[in-house]
Amino acid sequence: MSLRKIAALTGVAALSISLAACAGGATTGTSGGDANTVTFRSWSPIEQTTKQMVAAFEADNPGTKVDATIFNYPEYLVDLQTRASSNTFPDIVGLQPGALTQQYRSNLLPLQDCAAKTWGADWQNKFYPIGIEQARAGNPAGDQNFYSLPILVQTVNLWANTELFAAAGATIPKTWDELTSTVAQLKGGNAAPFMLPAKDGWLRNAVFLQIANNVNPGLVYKAESGTDSWSNPDLVKALDYWGKLFTDGIAQDGAIGLDAYPSAVNQFEAGNAAMIPLGAWWIQQSDPTKSQADIPPLSQGMSGYEPFLFPTIPGGAADSQFVGGIDVSLGISKDAANPDLACKVLTDWIAGKGGQKLVDTMNDIPAVAGLTPSSFTSKKQETIWNTFVTDWLPQVKYSRYFDDPKVDQAVSDALAAIATGSQTPEQAAAAIQVVSDGANGK
Amino acid sequence: MRTKLRQNITGLLFLLPAVVLFAVFVVYPIVYNMQASTLDWDGVNAGTFVGFDNYVKLFQDPTFLIALRNSAYWIPLTIIPQALIGFLLALALNRGLFASTVYRAIFFIPAILSPVVVGIVWQRIMDPFNGVFTSVGKATGLDWLGGNFLANPQTAIFAVIFVNIWMWTGFSMLFYLAGLQLIDTSVLEAAKIDGAGPLQTTARIIFPLLKSTHLSLLLLGIIGSLKTFELVYVLTQGGPAHASEMLPTYAFQQAFQLQSVGYASTISVVLIVIAVASSLSMVRVFGAGFISGDEK
Repeated sequence: MSLRKIAALTGVAALSISLAACAGGATTGTSGGDANTVTFRSWSPIEQTTKQMVAAFEADNPGTKVDATIFNYPEYLVDLQTRASSNTFPDIVGLQPGALTQQYRSNLLPLQDCAAKTWGADWQNKFYPIGIEQARAGNPAGDQNFYSLPILVQTVNLWANTELFAAAGATIPKTWDELTSTVAQLKGGNAAPFMLPAKDGWLRNAVFLQIANNVNPGLVYKAESGTDSWSNPDLVKALDYWGKLFTDGIAQDGAIGLDAYPSAVNQFEAGNAAMIPLGAWWIQQSDPTKSQADIPPLSQGMSGYEPFLFPTIPGGAADSQFVGGIDVSLGISKDAANPDLACKVLTDWIAGKGGQKLVDTMNDIPAVAGLTPSSFTSKKQETIWNTFVTDWLPQVKYSRYFDDPKVDQAVSDALAAIATGSQTPEQAAAAIQVVSDGANGK
Repeated sequence: MRTKLRQNITGLLFLLPAVVLFAVFVVYPIVYNMQASTLDWDGVNAGTFVGFDNYVKLFQDPTFLIALRNSAYWIPLTIIPQALIGFLLALALNRGLFASTVYRAIFFIPAILSPVVVGIVWQRIMDPFNGVFTSVGKATGLDWLGGNFLANPQTAIFAVIFVNIWMWTGFSMLFYLAGLQLIDTSVLEAAKIDGAGPLQTTARIIFPLLKSTHLSLLLLGIIGSLKTFELVYVLTQGGPAHASEMLPTYAFQQAFQLQSVGYASTISVVLIVIAVASSLSMVRVFGAGFISGDEK
């Protein structure tokens, strides 16, 4: 090797070494805003709603500015991680409970003081219990801080197209047997009796958690935490019933290749499906603040829909269980330029005028009880809204999430494997157990 | 030495911006990734040094092996059909067909569409419940058209490859059209005078003369195949059950959904090694001037 080559290689190596040694460090630094500006990044609420919330806050607080950017969820994850690594962490960030909040915990300010200062010492009573419980999911033992506060909560449930049900003379199924017979009754037309957009891992897991909690309420979380086993017969049974959605002809052909957004929801809204598993957020299709002429007929005032819980499973719980939790929560950067202003924005959006704007659009169910939309466009819409806020959300006991992202992925993979016939429920349970053991340090 | 440096200072200064950009945007990310690949790290909190553990884990990871296998499928199954169809289209459109400019535009349009849009549209087309293929199949009796192409682990990767071919064939066509314009017509006339038929002219004159175009498309195809992300992500999300996973989609999932930036960096390093090895192999086999057509 010539001297010149050696010199060149040495130069590149020296340059590389000098440039390296940056990966793997914990993130520190300043946040994006100045004293009168609060930066906000999230994937939810949707952009139009966020604009209204920002406008409401700025109108009430002259001289302040909220710089908000809304992304799609995958892009948001990239943006957040990049910002955390480049010392440009936003003042307020959208978070999901559990793994995402815990990943950024070291960047976040505990919020209980902000909440108590704004709403009083009994501030936790304003929120639905599931929101308060999930807000601290994954905190280290003994850490009672709230690193995020919920802004929107939800149930995961099924929705029926009531027009198709009425046309077929069908009734909402309450048990598994009723589900299979209703699907048989609804078959034969152009619409799918049960449209399952199973391409999305989040939806597979949400449906499975409804089934698992209907088989044996709460057991699945014990398996996740390592106090029970994934090969528990009840969890294998839940996996088996998930598989039956495909093998018993309940789900439409190609269900594992169909995504929820935009494909399945477009079809459901166009009247091409009689049932679909989504959640409380579907009420946003009937947004009263939108021009009603722009809303598809089925969604106007929720005229063509009815929410219902996943049917009970033979030999399982007598009643369908309520599964749900936080849709999105908000956290404040510990390096925020003006934490008081950020606190003011956050609490306004949760339960103030900004929150009212959010509720007016019916983006999802507010995390605090008592906020009601300024107007409803139909009696049915009001009834559905009240069902969620009065009857369902207070009863939600079981989470729609797993705490550990690797377990979440393992369950999602196992459900896909069962759906495609690549694994039996027993094999799938064993595969999840391996990942779960790893997550629990076994 | 000093005199020589003084003589070369102007040239070195001209080189400096390129060197700086290369160092910041190429060398630095690679070194950063290599360093991150030795860590158990979520990308936010302090990582733990694990040496080569991520590499050991990676080569025992069945999903990674599926992604490698899919890349092995993807490279020949996209590059060859795209080049072949693109070449035939270019030949047809180079003969001064009526409205050939319109055809060129039509064939090229998929290449300028967003892969996200293409993915969403093709997902609807291939939806076995009520997609376009299913409707056509029902109308024509070709029931196989309504198959679960994207939902079946055995066919998902090939369905995505099919859409990729549809999308990028126009790009190959444009390359070949440009190459055809550069062929000296006197060579073709001489072949004609010597009695060569259209098939012989195409196979023995035109095809070899387009060597640099073939090789350019091959190199671009390999690099493009290795970094394929959007189309796979939108069409299948790498599923079902990772059956259509590619290295970039798997790296994305590990880094941003499973909070394993260290492991994702390991995948990226392997990707870089494959890309560099492929490029260097081509240079070694075909010579450094293979794209420009220079014999070196």
